Amino acid sequence: MSGMLSYLVFFASVVLILGIVVLGLNLQWGFTGLFNAGVVGFYAIGGYTFAILTAAPLSGHMGNFGLHWSLGLLAAMFVTALAAWAIGALTIRLRGDYLAITSFGIAVTIQLVTLNWGALTGGPNGLTRLGRPLAGWFDTPAAFNAAYLVMLAAIVALVYWGLERMLRSPWGRVLRAIREDELAAVALGKNARRFRLEAFVIGSALMGLAGALYVGYIGFVSPFDFLPILTFQAWAMLIVGGSGNNRGALLGALVVWGIWTVSGIAVTKLLPPSLAAQGAAVQVILIGAALVAMLLWRPRGIIGEEAVVSRHTTD
Amino acid sequence: MIVKLSFFLSLLALAGAASAQAACPVKVGGILPLTGSMAPITKKIAQSAELAFEHINAGGGVKGCPVQFILRDDQGQPTVGVDAAKYLVEVEKVPAFTGTISSGVTGPIISAVTAPSKVVQVSCCSTASPFTADGRSGGYFFRTIPTSKTQAFATASETARRGFKKTAVIYVNTDFGKDMLTFYRQAAGKLGGDIVVEVPYNDNQTSYRAEVTRALAAKPESLLLIGFPKDAVTIVREWLSLGGSKRVALNNSMRTMDFVNGVGAQHVEDFFGMDNAQVAGANVDAFNQAFEDKYKTDSKGPGVHTQYDAVMVLGLAMNIAKDLSGPAIKDAMRQVQAANGTPVGTGPAEYKKALELIKAGRPIKYNGATGPIEFDVNGDVTGPALVWKISGGKIETDRVISIEEMQALFKRVE
Repeated sequence: MSGMLSYLVFFASVVLILGIVVLGLNLQWGFTGLFNAGVVGFYAIGGYTFAILTAAPLSGHMGNFGLHWSLGLLAAMFVTALAAWAIGALTIRLRGDYLAITSFGIAVTIQLVTLNWGALTGGPNGLTRLGRPLAGWFDTPAAFNAAYLVMLAAIVALVYWGLERMLRSPWGRVLRAIREDELAAVALGKNARRFRLEAFVIGSALMGLAGALYVGYIGFVSPFDFLPILTFQAWAMLIVGGSGNNRGALLGALVVWGIWTVSGIAVTKLLPPSLAAQGAAVQVILIGAALVAMLLWRPRGIIGEEAVVSRHTTD
Repeated sequence: MIVKLSFFLSLLALAGAASAQAACPVKVGGILPLTGSMAPITKKIAQSAELAFEHINAGGGVKGCPVQFILRDDQGQPTVGVDAAKYLVEVEKVPAFTGTISSGVTGPIISAVTAPSKVVQVSCCSTASPFTADGRSGGYFFRTIPTSKTQAFATASETARRGFKKTAVIYVNTDFGKDMLTFYRQAAGKLGGDIVVEVPYNDNQTSYRAEVTRALAAKPESLLLIGFPKDAVTIVREWLSLGGSKRVALNNSMRTMDFVNGVGAQHVEDFFGMDNAQVAGANVDAFNQAFEDKYKTDSKGPGVHTQYDAVMVLGLAMNIAKDLSGPAIKDAMRQVQAANGTPVGTGPAEYKKALELIKAGRPIKYNGATGPIEFDVNGDVTGPALVWKISGGKIETDRVISIEEMQALFKRVE
């Protein structure tokens, strides 16, 4: 039983890390209508910033500074925000699908940089011996995992609280106004470009934080951690959970990652090993079918957007 | 009263027996990319693992228990692979597992599961050199496939033997591809042959015209292509259609009919490549025969033989280990190849023989489907290599480079 518990601790940790990514995406897409198809790129910037700053020094690497993990986490957010600002400053004027194509291209570029800038990123061999958060304070893996989960829960709670505050403020209402009708928002004197850029930078910084937390948890990073499938997963989570609702974003992370893993366990439990290869194909079909079914059942996500968000009005 | 008591006692004894039985079956995990870009080569590898567990069970299992093989799919995704490993170790309580193929998935598993949880991991196929070299695995990671170095040195000696000059190298930009290139460059420098251009490529693209054009711009007379079958089909087609030389060397992954048929058999005549040798002999034949009998297809393909050995070595080590904990199994892994041990081979009968020897406290020496398996201090194996070539639309073995030749080769290069 303790084994099941410690697996669930691990599972919950992955869900919370992905949850932070989806919260970031929700700010961008759910509230502001920015079609970011390069989620994994910002996740990668955060992950690599953390790894490069905290990895134990190694000859032949220009990074590997061996800094403290807390510094790594903060720097990951800061560097990702900076990168998002630079990228956003150039691309944020693009609408809808144009921004999607651009951001997808940027994410692929970032992954290729991590693959090819060997001196900094370790190239395809990646980086290891990272400064794992909390690792020094706990000697058993179980204690480390439990403590990490608590830390993640605290971070997610903080992020959730902060986002809710922001989105229920006038600032948040402007984002929605831009999403619904940018021209009308501009006519009311709002600087749409500035608001879009702010939402883009904050959302991306959250993705970077999640990347750093993931890499710190695993203790190893390589370019193969940042394949485009992660962007797809984050989108599936947001849409299934409920775009425009932060609780929906977190729930979506839980449900979609749950489908991903439970289907795998179900296949192993129900089929003999001789059919495992066919079962794995069935698992992929199951994941797709479950996502389609969820969307047929609840087209606006499990928890849709709230109609009224201001505490000054009652409906 | 006495009857009642004895009945009660026998019930107790039964219950006791049942609880002793509760440790059975012994669970061993497996993680392989059954879906995703590796799926075409994984099918036979998974079958090979399954065959090995069948042989183990037919030959007496582990410590008197049958072994249950729990196989999970990693989809070629690191997060999914780590989740599968965590599930196997925590929920199913496996003390050891075999897997996986992509180094990008094996790396995070070693770091997040294998080393901290102290379970034994034996891979059939992950060749990235740093995994065993820098102590990150705590000694819990083993592999039955010689690292890229063996293959790269063998490739260099073969291209030198065939008089390759002005070679273009197109390689997949992964740890595997980079290792292969680095070791090939090192060996080619000593053995003769020169590289005119090195072009990395990223996998799963629809076209490689840019890479091929860049390689051809250096006017190469021959090509060494290091990569995976699906992309290699595209690359070779573009290479040939743009007028590239038909002197082409390949790596082990292309030793599959998917590659030959993908390009078209008539175009790849006389292409050759390396693989870890299936040393000839009774043990290898026994494995090949068993594989063919069960799956009605030949056992040729990357990873098939190394996967069988990975599982068999694990089975033997688990019997030698004083208990079924990860550390005990780790310590037993090197005892399957005792210098003065009685040789044992592949198949259920040989496994049974090995168990009897172990029970009698005598040392054993396992000669597997890839020849003698001897883990060095890092958990790596060295092994013989073979040269294969495509002839008449079929994949044939050209010649074998024995362990002795390989050792001599290592001395010349290093």
